[in-house]
Amino acid sequence: MRIGGINLNTIKQWLTNIKNTFSVNSKKEFVDLFIRSLFLITTIISASFIIIIIIFILREGIKPFVTNNDGLGRVNLVRFLMGTTWLEGRAFFSNLYGVGFIVVNTIYIALLSLVIAMPIGVLSALFIAKIAPKRLSKILRTVVELLAAIPSIVYGLFGSGVILVFVYNLGKVFGIQSKGGNSVLATVLVLALMILPTITALSEVAIRSVGKEIEHGSLALGATKTQTNFKVVLTSAKSGIFTAAILGIGRALGEATAVSLVAGNARSGPSFGLFDTTATLTSTMLQGLKETIGLDYDIRFSVGIVLMVVIVLTNAILNFVKRRIGNVNVK
Amino acid sequence: MSMSNKRKRIDLLLQTITYSAAAIAVLILSMIVFFIFRNGAGLLNLDLITSDYHAQFYNGSIGEVNNFSNTDKPDFLTEEDHYSSKWGIALSDEIDKQGGLMIEVTYIADDSPLKEMVDKNNPDNETFSLKQGQVLSTIKFYDKNSALTIYGAEYMINELNEVDTFREIVFSTQGGGIRGSLITTLYVIGMTLVVALPVGIFTAIYLNEFAKKNRVTNALRSMVEMLTGVPSIIFGLMGLAVFVPLTVNYTSANSGNLISGSLTLAVILLPVIIRATEESLKVVPDELRSASLALGANRTQTTFKVVLPSALPSILTGTLLSIGRIIGESAALIFAIGTAVKDDISIFGKSTTLSVQIWSLMTDEPANIELASTIALIILITVLILNLLVKMISSRYMKKFV
Repeated sequence: MRIGGINLNTIKQWLTNIKNTFSVNSKKEFVDLFIRSLFLITTIISASFIIIIIIFILREGIKPFVTNNDGLGRVNLVRFLMGTTWLEGRAFFSNLYGVGFIVVNTIYIALLSLVIAMPIGVLSALFIAKIAPKRLSKILRTVVELLAAIPSIVYGLFGSGVILVFVYNLGKVFGIQSKGGNSVLATVLVLALMILPTITALSEVAIRSVGKEIEHGSLALGATKTQTNFKVVLTSAKSGIFTAAILGIGRALGEATAVSLVAGNARSGPSFGLFDTTATLTSTMLQGLKETIGLDYDIRFSVGIVLMVVIVLTNAILNFVKRRIGNVNVK
Repeated sequence: MSMSNKRKRIDLLLQTITYSAAAIAVLILSMIVFFIFRNGAGLLNLDLITSDYHAQFYNGSIGEVNNFSNTDKPDFLTEEDHYSSKWGIALSDEIDKQGGLMIEVTYIADDSPLKEMVDKNNPDNETFSLKQGQVLSTIKFYDKNSALTIYGAEYMINELNEVDTFREIVFSTQGGGIRGSLITTLYVIGMTLVVALPVGIFTAIYLNEFAKKNRVTNALRSMVEMLTGVPSIIFGLMGLAVFVPLTVNYTSANSGNLISGSLTLAVILLPVIIRATEESLKVVPDELRSASLALGANRTQTTFKVVLPSALPSILTGTLLSIGRIIGESAALIFAIGTAVKDDISIFGKSTTLSVQIWSLMTDEPANIELASTIALIILITVLILNLLVKMISSRYMKKFV
């Protein structure tokens, strides 16, 4: 008897083989087999989520470019990627979405926040690891851990309650009227605060893992303690410090709710002026949440794809740079 | 000599810079804590935690009153509290959270006739009572103009004293509570952990105890690791595209709901739990495993009876950190559940966790920064306690085993 071109006997043979392979002699072995299979299944589920994320976001995100979008017309991919204005579909009855300027804004803001957070973070790490007395460095380490544990929405609240006011008043000093403080500067400051603990904690680990011999060598050659810290310890730890920067910028690129409270939601750009309103990829995705169907819903997934690509590319570039910088005797 | 002096000056400068950098971290933490406390501590009380966010309106009426109150004005009431001994009620002028006028019931006597009113919306129901803390907005009389909020508490009391009955009294609860979000947060923590803990722990055990050390295992592990680099808003999109349709199809839900939110959070937490468990499994010495296997136990028995018990403290700390992460997560849940603050919570319906309620309050016009800060204060305290617990557990564990 044949089913679909396969001999039934072959199937029977397979089944017997399978049965023999997993021959279950006792309850103990059955439990063992059951547990192994169950755990294998959960492992496959855990590992498959990264693929599920990619497939589903691609599937939804491609829709605006390949369908008619209920009469609004196909979104032009080139204009989408290079565009300098963002017009919501429902509100403007248009398909004129452009994320080009938003990508520029996002990277600009992330880099600026890194420029602020890096020196403070690395120097705090140096202080905690090498300079501070034991008790003080223990307290400071706890402070950094607590800062890292504060949820981003709390940073956002702090941003809109304190930093917006500060930026608004600072603008007034320079005679610039900012939109209630919502600006590039406010966003950069909030993000710098948020990535500071990440950078400090990781840099501290990198600094502590610098070999004692290098340090002693430098001191023996007559360098002062401070000279050694700055010229030898920091240089030796640069690979680890670079890793901290990579993680910091990753967090800055992907942060959403805190940014959306202080960015000011600009619809065109890019915004380079510190007191101009701005928009990042994430803050744009948090727009128009009431839509549950249609172009304004799908386009968020397209922005999500762009965000993923930006993060992956930034990581790749920074990792390339890190390899070029090299590694000095760091365990 | 001059060279060495220059060196000293540079060293001093560099040191000062380093000291100030470290001081900044402390300054930031103090500023955040100070800001949250200053704005949030005022509203923090039991009422806030137990009351609804949306004000509930009632229309009460009263028939012929036979027994008026005869309680005198209690001593604890102040000049501001206008008291009617006839009706046994004290009212005072207050400012509501939006900055408008409101008249609050500051005291109601036990023998007040207002304790037994007919609910005009549901006349068949039992009588209900005006309660302390509620807001009186209008009293409609039979033969004169209504007493409205804008005339003030004193006018309302005087008008009440002149009559023996009235047509209708409109009052409401104050609203602005966080009971709904608190319950949602607890539900979400529970459901997320129920899914994420077994899947995460099983995966870690499989990767570390059962799987052969080969390329496939490494690939599976790095696929899990890749999840840590994904921003939470992307997880939110996945929840929206995968878990929301799934729950809408198979449950009574018709939009984002607590189940889809919890499943999304479970995915976010998987790498955290897997890594915490794997690291604790790695610490268990191989001799223990070999000894158990040599005594005739199989892999499963060895894992459950020998390896896992010594990994428990780390799994516990991983769980506590996960709870902190769930409480703090906002971006993913905005997509996977929604942003509508609710008072009646169902796991098949929309609602907000405490973090998402902060976002909703801050994106509303006008933003309610006081209530948002109060919620932030609760979150901050909880996260602080969780982190200190983790520190305590891990230091105790270290002492015992290392």
